[in-house]
Order: sequence, then structure tokens, then C-alpha cells
Amino acid sequence: MDVIMPQLGETVAEGTVLKWYKQVGDAVRADETLFDVETDKVSMEIPAPAAGVLTEIVVPEGVTAKVGARLAVIRAAGEEAAPSAGPSAPAPTAAAQASAGQASTTQASAAPAKSGAAPASPARGSAAAAQASTAPAAAVPLRARDGRGGPPLSPVVRRLCAELELDPGLISGTGPGGRITREDVLLYAESRRPAASAPAAARPPAADAQTRPLTLVRRRTAEHMARAWATVPHVMQAVEVNFAAIGALRRAHGPGWQAKEGFPLTFLPFIARAVCLALGKFPELNSVFEGDALRLNSRINLGIAVDLQREGLVVPVVKDAQARSLAELARAIDDLSSRARAGRLVPDDMSEGTYTLTNNGAFGTVITAPIVNAPQVAILSIDAIRKKPVVVEAAAGDGIAIAPVGMLVQSFDHRAVDGACSASFLTELKSILETRAWQDELRLEGSD
Amino acid sequence: MAELTYREAVAAGIAQELARDESVVFFGEDVAKAGGVFKTTVGLYDRFGPKRVRDCPISEQAILGAAMGAAMTGLKPIAEIMFSDFLAVCWDIVANQIAKTRYMTNGQISLPLVIRTANGAGSRFGAQHSQSVENWAMAVPGLKVVAPAFPADVKGLLAAAVRDPDPVLFFEQKSLYSMKGEVPDGEHCDELGKARVLREGKDCTIVALAAMVHRALGAAAILESEHGIAATVVDLRSLVPLDTQTVLAEVARTGRLITVEENPRLCGWGAELASIVAQECFWDLEGPIVRVTTPHVPLASADLLEDHQVPSVDRVVRAVREALS
Repeated sequence: MDVIMPQLGETVAEGTVLKWYKQVGDAVRADETLFDVETDKVSMEIPAPAAGVLTEIVVPEGVTAKVGARLAVIRAAGEEAAPSAGPSAPAPTAAAQASAGQASTTQASAAPAKSGAAPASPARGSAAAAQASTAPAAAVPLRARDGRGGPPLSPVVRRLCAELELDPGLISGTGPGGRITREDVLLYAESRRPAASAPAAARPPAADAQTRPLTLVRRRTAEHMARAWATVPHVMQAVEVNFAAIGALRRAHGPGWQAKEGFPLTFLPFIARAVCLALGKFPELNSVFEGDALRLNSRINLGIAVDLQREGLVVPVVKDAQARSLAELARAIDDLSSRARAGRLVPDDMSEGTYTLTNNGAFGTVITAPIVNAPQVAILSIDAIRKKPVVVEAAAGDGIAIAPVGMLVQSFDHRAVDGACSASFLTELKSILETRAWQDELRLEGSD
Repeated sequence: MAELTYREAVAAGIAQELARDESVVFFGEDVAKAGGVFKTTVGLYDRFGPKRVRDCPISEQAILGAAMGAAMTGLKPIAEIMFSDFLAVCWDIVANQIAKTRYMTNGQISLPLVIRTANGAGSRFGAQHSQSVENWAMAVPGLKVVAPAFPADVKGLLAAAVRDPDPVLFFEQKSLYSMKGEVPDGEHCDELGKARVLREGKDCTIVALAAMVHRALGAAAILESEHGIAATVVDLRSLVPLDTQTVLAEVARTGRLITVEENPRLCGWGAELASIVAQECFWDLEGPIVRVTTPHVPLASADLLEDHQVPSVDRVVRAVREALS
């Protein structure tokens, strides 16, 4: 009987076989663990559907197949030995569409299994192992997918991962749609070479103590920033926000929150929530500028810039922030920043951002004009919130009070929107922060 | 260095070779007394006289039959076929006779001749006078095929073609005749079969020929300044011999190939290049190979339609951006 890729979740269309616990020819008991499968949501052990002998493994380890695809064949007790259907097994996925990821998945993976002939390219400046289409290629099969549901890997990425024995699932993709590029692979490989990076950082040449070679993250940040700065016409606008109301709520609910959640309730989730509400009214600021069109995003994936103690910047993303409550945002932000500082972010955490927040205020600045996180269209700096005298207007006469005040500073791409749009967004943001019934949002959380 | 127009470079190249080698002769329709319908051979008749520079009747078969006979008997003829479209009229002589003579005579007879012709669109001459037919020649074994994009290459590659012991088809792009460019002074002879990298960029490799080289360069400039994409641009210059080494090296470096071809889509030189790259460079590719060509239709006479059919700078920019997205 066929062993097929099980349905692993309602929205899951495919899975990657991680490990076979049995080899061809082994006896298998019903419900004995037969293989591990992984999707981008979950990993599971899959039991054998029947007792018998494993006569064929159709989909080897490391290969992705659609739900329902035939993965292996068990000759159940009592069945006659049926002739294997042979290479047509991947037929459901091997549609002749060269562009369809699935077809190239099984065909590309079938190739190295047959012979090491796949990387036939002459060695031409690319990794020297190109000509060695022998043991190394056979031992590390070409993987056509990254195993976490990303776009199919390009030929050069497949080859490099096989040659350098890298797991594409661990490589962060900076190409469109989160695609892994050749550069991503090479940077990742370089970062894993301990000998190279350590001396570079720890021991500058004695003759010139001022020279500090750039780390990987620094280099990448530099390229990204230069490119954004070169192509995006930046305009900076700021509003000054009175955080008195939110400050009061923080004092009132803060201790209870900290006790319950294990982390403090800062201004950031309030600002994040307000940004989501304001972006709802100004969708142009949550878009991508594409030369002759503005591509509006229906989701708000909020990037939160995290500084890694002068090791560079990383921007993990809270996905679908528009659908999250204040508390959910707070938890998500805390989780992402903690994991960022602990170096435990996964590539999915950093992809598909549509708008970015950068919290420079944590370092005490009054105003910052950040660089737009291209290809996004705008970025918001949250600068320091500190007590200032503010004018309070009243019928009886104006007075002065002391309130926590901070600047929210937006840099935007002037090709995509004009100052009026950005300014209106900022005044809306200010209004939400200063006048929204935040206590209702906190109270909705039930407890505290 | 002197600044010459593309058409002046044609005359300069022919003159250089006529002066250098007595066995070189030049003939075609209206090339002598009239200086060529495109004014590409002005002055040659006056300078070299009627024995070296001749007018022919309107018969492509006669022109090339004479060229072949002249080449067989010790001369080095340069023959002009006024519009490359008309090669079809004498194609039997080109494909079945000229291309195969060396092989069929076991090397006893070689034909050191050059057939120059005005190729390509942009002049509103309509379907029968605007074709890019260099691929007809590329497809016949035994012919060398050259298509320069710059005046310097016109002179240098024409000289190399004349000095080549085998038949060379030299495709001039008629819409480029007025363009100006720097041409080295003195004797200038280039090398057939060598492409030139005109611009370096790490994101993709754009390969183009003749008039499309200038479109590719225009597109690369826009891609860099407006879209942050750094493109390498390669001027192929010759189709046969084909400089595969340069193209493969550049594609291996950037991981992407885009061709810009003035010919209609089917069986254009870009398809051959794509197949070579897909076979020998597959494991360096970041994404699919893209060809930007004229669609597979006869060209229109109307200016707006013709401009719409032939790849424009805009179309190249869009194709590259799409490929990289």
C-alpha cells in the first residue's frame, strides 16, 4: 500500500520529509514511527499505516512533497509484491510546468539520487567543487526547497548549498518574496567560518589600531542603507505627542501587567497599536513603491528595529499587526526583541515587513530622521519621552502642566506620497495616542 | 581619435582595405557613382576608380555570383546587398554555394569575401525592408556573421572581415548610420568573434546586438539610477564566431541573463545563447533566462507601430525589473 503525505493542517499544502526511520527491506509494524515530516508550522512523527515490509522509498529525506503525494510503498502482509510504478511516482507533482515549484522539486531531487551528474557546470570561478560531481554531490543531495515553505531555490543556490553542505532552511532570504539569493548563501557560509570572523573582530592589525573590518551584519546594513538613501527621496516630518494619558495608565496597570506577563508594559505597544489604526486610514504609507504603481498591502506587518548592542540592527516583524490587540502586540514585540537579542530569530521573523518602527528614544534622542526601510514607503522613529511643561487650555484660562512628551518622527518616500498625506497621518496618530480610550483596550484583556 | 558617423566608418573601413590590398574590390547596386543609397560609400569611386569600385545591375544573384567567382579566382571582394531582406533572393548562392565551398572542395578553394548589407528596422521602410536577418546567416554552417553597434567597430570589424579567409556576412544597422562615435586614427583592425563588456554590474547580464546595444545601455542607466539595479551590458558584436566565454563568465558572475534582440522571437540568436547558458551555466543561475525581442510578426511601416514592435528602452527596463522581482 502507498504511504502518502498526510494532511498536517488545514492550510498546509506540502511537507518536507525529514527522516526515514526504516530502510527499504525493513519490516514495519503498524503505527510504528515511519518518518518525520516538517512544514513551516509544525514537525511531526508519522506512523506506518500498516504492517509489512517497506519496499520502496519514493521521496527521500530533505525533499518536499504535496499533501497526498506518494512517499513510500509498504507491502502489507498478504499483498503480493507489486511492481513498483517507478519514477512516475512523483507524477502528481511532476507537471511539465518548469515554473511550478513542485515539478522541479521532485525532478531536481531525483537527479542526484541517480548520479552525481547534476552539477555539470565547468568550474569557472564559482566554488571549486563544481567539477567534483562525485562523492560530495551524492552525499549531500541537491535540495530544491528550503523546507519552510519558501519559494523554490534557484539553481545556483541549490548547488552552493549542496557543495558547502548548508541547510537552506537556516539561511535568511533577502530576495523578493523571501527568496534565498546566492549572496545570502555565501554570506551565511562566511558567517559560519569561525576562524575568519573571530580574528577580524578581536585582533585588529597591530600597526593600525583604528581599523575595524566590517562584520557581516554591518556590511549588509551598509548596503541596504546606501541603496535606500540613493533611491528614495527622504522627507522627515515630526509631531510632538503628549503621553500623559498613556503614562497614567502605565502607572496604574503596569505592576499588574508585569506580574502577569513577565515583562513591563512600555509605551511601544500603544504606539504600535495607534500606528496600525492610523495606517488603516492612510494605506499609502503601508505600501511598496514600484516605479509606475503603488502596491498597497492589505496586511500591516510591523517591523520593530532592534539594536544589537552595536553589533548592528535587525528588524523582526510582527505579522498582521492590524489584527492584534494592544496586549497581543505587546507580547509579540517583547517576544521578538528578546529573541533578537538572544540571536534566536528565524528567517520568517524578518520577512514581509510593510512599515517599520525604530525606538531611538530608548537612547535619549529628541528627534531622529531615520532611513526608510526600502522597499517600504515610510518609517517612524519614536524618540525620547520626557517630562516637559505643556500648555493646558481651559475656559478659565491657559495654564501650564507637566506631562511626558515625545516626538514621533516619520521619514517617508516622497515619490510615493506627499507631505500632506504624511502630516495628516501623523496628526491622526497623535490624536489616537492622546485621546483614545486606552483603558478600555487594557481592560478587555480581562485580568489585572 | 576622430569622430565619425557609422556610415563614414563604413567608407573608411572599405577605403582602408582597398588601399592596403590590391586584390580587394568592392561592388554593389549604386555603390560607386552614387556613393550608396545610404551614402555609406561616398568618395570610394573617386579615390579608387572603376576597376576597384563597381556599380552592378539590380540582381542580387549576379552580385553574389560575381563575388563568389571573384573570390574563387584570387580577389578579395566586398559585395553589397542593399537591404538585408534581399539576401533571400540570392540565398541559394550564400547558403548552398558560398558557405559550403571550402568544405566541399576539401579546402582547395576558400572564399575570402565579405557581403555587407543594411539590416534592421527604425526607418519606417515596412515589412520587406526592415528585417533583422542575421539569424538566417547564423543558422548556416560555414558563414561568419558580424553586426557592429559603434562606428569604431564598423571600421575595425569590417577590416577584420576583409582579411578573414572565409565568407563573412557584415550586417550594418541602417538606423545607426547617422550615429557618431570615436574611431581610432590610422589603421584599425579588430578581431571577429570577440564580444565586448560595455558596463559592469552585479545584478544581471544584458546581452545585445547592433542597435539593441544602445537600448540596453539606456535601460541599464535607468535601472541603476531609478531602481538600484546594477546591470552588466555585453555587446555581442559577432554571432559567428560566438564569444561564449565572455557571456558565460558574465552570466556566472551575475546569475542572470537577459537578451535584447531586434529580430522576431522565434529562433533568434538569443534563443541559442539561452540554450548554451542553460546547458553550461545552469548551476550559476539565480533565475530564469529572459529574452526581450520583437514579437513574431512582420514589421509595420507606421512609425508608432514599428516603435512599439521593436524592443524599447522601457521594455528592457520592465523586463529586467520583472526578472529580478
